Amino acid sequence: MPVYILKRLFQALFVIVAVTLIVSFAIRLSGDPTSMLMGAGGAISETDLQNIRTGLGLDQPFHTQYLHFLEGIVTGDFGKSFFGGGSVWNLIAQALPATLLLGFLSLFVSFLISVPLGIHAAVRAGSFSDQIIRILSLVGLSFPNFWLAIMLVLIFSIKLNMLPASGFLAYQGLVLPVVTLALILSAVNVRIVRSAMLDTLSTQYILVSRAKGLKDRVVLYKHALRNCMIPLLTFVGLQFGDLLGGVVIVERVFNWPGMGSLAFDAISSRDYPVLQGVITVMALLIVITNLLIDVAYGIIDPRIGRS
Amino acid sequence: MKTWKYRGLLLAAALSALPLAMTANLAHAAGTLTVALERDDSTWDPIDTFTLTWGRIGSNIYDGLVQRTPDLKLVPGLATSWEFLDDSKRIRFHLRKGVKFHDGEDFNAAAVKYTFDRLLGPEGAKGPQQANYTSIGSVNVVDDFTVDLVLKSPDPVLITKLAGYGGMIVPPKYIEEKGDTYFNLHPVGTGPFKFVDYKPKVSLTLEANPDYWGGAPKLSGLVYRFIPEAATQVSELQSGGVDIATLVPISLVKTVSDDPKLRVESITGPDVVMLRLNAADGITKDPAVRKALIQAIDRDAIVEQILQGNGKPIASLQSSLSFGYDPDLKPLAFDPVAAKAALAKAGVKPGATVELSYIGSDATFREVAQTVAAYLQGVGINASLKSYETNVYYTDLIPHGKTGSLFQYQWGGWTFDFDNTAYLLYHSGQFWNPYIKDAKLDTMLEAQRATYNVDERKKILNQIADYTAEQAFEIPLYNSNTLYALNKRVHNLAPTPDIRFRFVDTTVE
Repeated sequence: MPVYILKRLFQALFVIVAVTLIVSFAIRLSGDPTSMLMGAGGAISETDLQNIRTGLGLDQPFHTQYLHFLEGIVTGDFGKSFFGGGSVWNLIAQALPATLLLGFLSLFVSFLISVPLGIHAAVRAGSFSDQIIRILSLVGLSFPNFWLAIMLVLIFSIKLNMLPASGFLAYQGLVLPVVTLALILSAVNVRIVRSAMLDTLSTQYILVSRAKGLKDRVVLYKHALRNCMIPLLTFVGLQFGDLLGGVVIVERVFNWPGMGSLAFDAISSRDYPVLQGVITVMALLIVITNLLIDVAYGIIDPRIGRS
Repeated sequence: MKTWKYRGLLLAAALSALPLAMTANLAHAAGTLTVALERDDSTWDPIDTFTLTWGRIGSNIYDGLVQRTPDLKLVPGLATSWEFLDDSKRIRFHLRKGVKFHDGEDFNAAAVKYTFDRLLGPEGAKGPQQANYTSIGSVNVVDDFTVDLVLKSPDPVLITKLAGYGGMIVPPKYIEEKGDTYFNLHPVGTGPFKFVDYKPKVSLTLEANPDYWGGAPKLSGLVYRFIPEAATQVSELQSGGVDIATLVPISLVKTVSDDPKLRVESITGPDVVMLRLNAADGITKDPAVRKALIQAIDRDAIVEQILQGNGKPIASLQSSLSFGYDPDLKPLAFDPVAAKAALAKAGVKPGATVELSYIGSDATFREVAQTVAAYLQGVGINASLKSYETNVYYTDLIPHGKTGSLFQYQWGGWTFDFDNTAYLLYHSGQFWNPYIKDAKLDTMLEAQRATYNVDERKKILNQIADYTAEQAFEIPLYNSNTLYALNKRVHNLAPTPDIRFRFVDTTVE
């Protein structure tokens, strides 16, 4: 087991270095923050730009800048934003909880929706309600998430005036973004649960447990569901990356002060230190989540841990 | 029976969401006005940025020596009067007495000197504002309430610029004690509102300064919320989350005006939109061709159809509010037949291809670009549309002259004086001017900067506009209206062309 964990940690390190290297290099190819700092509308001279570059350390060769950034990761100092000079770590510390709250709550709500519906569809496979669930899931899969977001705002914020249209000023602000993300996630998850459940229900041990007279509830939730969790968890691990990506758009529409918005602004303004910080933390999150899911396999299905 | 279990689960999930949903909307706090701004400038130091969004906030925290009213008149600010001395080489300012900064520090001549020394020194060199004030050689304190600005070169627009953002007066003691980084995030000025709280990417909260020298504001608080998406700003306005949306897409103007609680202001603003031309290379090198391209495009139709009337066609790169605007200079009329003939005469073969570069994220301009391409097709020119990301467009394409023959450009002209636009876009060697090198134009541009004679300057600026129109350096498209929308509970807010509202007299129901 320790060897396994070491191996995973080494992989994680490799992923982080690779991701940050690619991002840091690519962002520098695609534009320069200095004239954005000067802003349009003013007289700009090459000397001014040069002064700013020197001030920000952008006159250094790429490897020096990158090594400086790696050094920062180790010492926990991601540097300062080019715009306003605020500490990158502070920006992330404010944005990360907002994104994690949104992400995990959406996953949780999507479980609440998809697990019961998926089981229902599997138990009554081919029935009218199964058809409806499958059609709804297909509709959900075909929805662009930003469109759903706009429709929800139109109904619940503008027409009914029940919920704020954007922002995270109070906890009510969570409802619409969470519903948006959760509905989209559920559309996929319902299908995963349904097919996993169908597979499980056709196995012999379910037949045996039914034969020995266990209640349906026990058969489904104690025996079958546990086995269904493996494919679902695997999928959630993969989904987590998508979720962080999807969060960027949903955060933008709902003006959510999270990592997605931070990344979006940093890319548009070429704020290298902020972008590098955000990407590092996001990559770390995905690596850690997948690590945790590996551990969770062992808990849900002890056979996996033993092999 | 067996389905009851998970029905219960679903019900529980639905119920648990209800209490969240039942709580009422928090907006519309008494006496507090909420404004949506598209951008969080991340620093509230006057010399760090050069954005309109900063100016919209900064104008409520700070004061300049001079102020500009919503109808663009220059009036006394922290200076009560000023006079030009030594053949206009020195400007003497008499300062307002009894003014205090928000931290209790006294405003006096030393603060003015500190402000300009900082702006013109190494701290100012790190930001974009310094370049606007380089005509100031030094600032001398005469007595506690008198200062002299000694000029090293003439600058007829300087008084206007002192009403701009970079010249806003900052507190010396506070900055020296707390340091620059702290000041960036905890601004202190002499203005009508005091800093309370800043949440990056979320909001900036201000409260009324009861001791404001111009009279205490009627509002108790002012909240700026940073909302980059125009559609989200409008949703927030419709649902009562903000009182003023400063970004209103043309496609939503009707929706907002139809709402009985809201109204839209569409007024003449400083922004001009144009297709600049590569005057150095390709078919657009020939002035006759450039002129034909202007004639080929029906700009009235673009303003009517795409802007839905929220703008006006222009003949030079300025709005009617700008100093130097000449009402007698009329836009070239739409005349595809003459354009076709001129192109044939200039030897441009039908089917000639040009690239039209534009910024992809600008939805309105995308439509304009497509329409322009269709008009050009009408005179036998194939325009290939190529869109770019904003940063690449401004940092790589334009300064390095890598644009297509036609390229989108938009200019605000913050001084409302044609000098700013004309000098930076036409003078040879300027950062934003990759293609035009014209000695005659350079001479005129320099001449208007050298004189304080208002009539003389106006005459030269008119000549510049005539000359550039004759040379057809660009296709002037339109002066787009300043659009913002507000809740009808907001009162006493004068229409402001650059949306730099000062909320001193404004009230909310």
